Amino acid sequence: MQADSSLWNRCVSELRAELPEQQFNTWIRPLQAIESEQTLKLLAPNRFVVDWLQQHHIERILQLVNASGGNVEVIVEVGSRESGSISAAPGRLSGRVNQAPRIESRLNPSFTFANFVEGKSNQLARAAASQVGENPGKSYNPLFIYGGVGLGKTHLMQSIGNAMLARDPGARVSYVHSERFVGDMVRGLQHNTISDFKRSYRTLDALLIDDIQFFAGKERSQEEFFHTFNALLEGQRQIVLTCDRYPKEVSGLEERLKSRFGWGLTVAIEPPELETSVAILMSKAAAEGIGLPEEVAFFIAKRIRSNVRELEGALRRVVANSRFTGRPINLEFAKEALRDLLAMQDRLVSIENIQKTVAEYFKLRVADLLSKRRSRSVARPRQIAMALAKDLTSHSLPEIGDAFGGRDHTTVLHGCRRVAALRESDKRVDEDYLNLLRTLTG
Amino acid sequence: MSQLALPLKLQDHAVFESFWPAGNDALVAYLRELVAGGTAAGCWLWGQASTGKTHLLQAVCARLGSASIYLPLRELVDTSPELLEGLASRACICVDDIDAAAGRPGWEIGLFRLWNAAVEAGSMLVVAAVAPPRECGFELPDLLSRLGHLPAFHLLPLGEDERPRALQLRASHRGLELPDETARYLLKRSRRDMTSLYELLDRLDSEALKAQRRLTIPFVRDVIGAHAGC
Repeated sequence: MQADSSLWNRCVSELRAELPEQQFNTWIRPLQAIESEQTLKLLAPNRFVVDWLQQHHIERILQLVNASGGNVEVIVEVGSRESGSISAAPGRLSGRVNQAPRIESRLNPSFTFANFVEGKSNQLARAAASQVGENPGKSYNPLFIYGGVGLGKTHLMQSIGNAMLARDPGARVSYVHSERFVGDMVRGLQHNTISDFKRSYRTLDALLIDDIQFFAGKERSQEEFFHTFNALLEGQRQIVLTCDRYPKEVSGLEERLKSRFGWGLTVAIEPPELETSVAILMSKAAAEGIGLPEEVAFFIAKRIRSNVRELEGALRRVVANSRFTGRPINLEFAKEALRDLLAMQDRLVSIENIQKTVAEYFKLRVADLLSKRRSRSVARPRQIAMALAKDLTSHSLPEIGDAFGGRDHTTVLHGCRRVAALRESDKRVDEDYLNLLRTLTG
Repeated sequence: MSQLALPLKLQDHAVFESFWPAGNDALVAYLRELVAGGTAAGCWLWGQASTGKTHLLQAVCARLGSASIYLPLRELVDTSPELLEGLASRACICVDDIDAAAGRPGWEIGLFRLWNAAVEAGSMLVVAAVAPPRECGFELPDLLSRLGHLPAFHLLPLGEDERPRALQLRASHRGLELPDETARYLLKRSRRDMTSLYELLDRLDSEALKAQRRLTIPFVRDVIGAHAGC
């Protein structure tokens, strides 16, 4: 058997000339051929592609094969040559009898505590995760980490797994996204291998399940997870969960699960403060051997406020431009590289949008924010709106003052300073500010 | 009687060599490195219509062969998101018009699963859209934040001076000689977006083969005139 066949290559050449290029790239190019004297096996990435080929292209493929003079059977099935896995043969999990099938750790070794940048926003979560990594099953079980998207929950969770493996390479640790847990379970039911599925999960030393909000509404998966959860906890095995919100707030999740999630420790990760974002960028750049001036890191961090993933995406963009133009990274260069991206963002986050969002949040009218009223119920939201306008837009202070009913730029400055001070001293003001920031930056 | 055009013209597939990179050099260099086995996880390229997004995605596929798959999502969103299952088995998944999936929950969750599977398998996503991720209208925050992880490149449209040169490069890949004055003539007498210009080049190629003529201004004028009269 040879890896790729000249017969298939000849067919590909013909099909390439006959089909529009888009169709060729979508349906023909991804096929991987394995040929023997009697068969030409074409491996497609999924069932949908197999069906499409059967409906639209198989006749022509057969014609071409026959025209090549070969008396060859053509088989199209799901599979991939690289991985050697062909899903037409499911249930390969089954190993030796009485031994639980081992599931992969799926841990990304690059997620460690050492390269997790700590700040006020994630301090508690990091400390708890570190404890769990050192004493799995004993300190906080389950550990429930919640927070918005792209803030480092997966990084912390996988750091726990990697720390466990570093101390005990034989530990059975598995990181799994809840979507995959559901998928594995469904496959187990379909292929009659559910007992393998159960044993593989229930015999782990640590189970790390990401984004459990995706369990919402999936009753059978919740049921299975409930039993897995109980089995692991009884055996003093560690469970770590992440979610985009506080467990009680996830709708579509059974109460018994919600209450169990609260048995251990529940910790939040907040969006990083500016300084932490800067530290994250500097750390990422250092890890890749890139000299990133601090003012550039401040510029990126100030403009990309939504989450860490997007922060990293912007950094990569700047670095790519620098590499391929040979120019050093400085503030001007970074502004140029990100100009279009930020211009689009600016169009979304306008002062008007901020005023509207803040007014809605505090149940006021925009006209109140622009009015002369100085009662605290109006003045405080107005100051918050001004601070957000300063942080999220490129408008000058006089422009912001003008947009808020023709106020002086010193009034804007005072408002911004007041909000900064209140965020330090009053937790509610800080929460309001962060909620609004999240809303405005997605 | 005019000669019938046989399908024997030189192949003009979308490859990096037939893309005029003016203003987009960093993006093209980045993609070339990506397909050469670079460590980057992928790329988000965005820009208005007719800037070459599809060409570049297909150039990536042309380099990677059966390790890649190309998905023109705008044409596929009326099928099923099941199409996305298992695609992470290919080293590179090129998704064109990914914004067509925005606001369609089945496709958004399908792309989210594809992303997770690709990360796990070490595959990369090269995607194209009309705007950066945040401006595409995706509703699943988990998907949106992941897409934001890709470095986003704005594909700039070609300037007036660059268009004839891009056309000449494309012509030369078909084995055609497109003189400067003819290229300039085309820019003045037809729609100036690159998609229309390349389509016109297709027609000229075919007509030149039939008539056994070179791409002179009189010949091009006749072809455009004949078409306008149809």
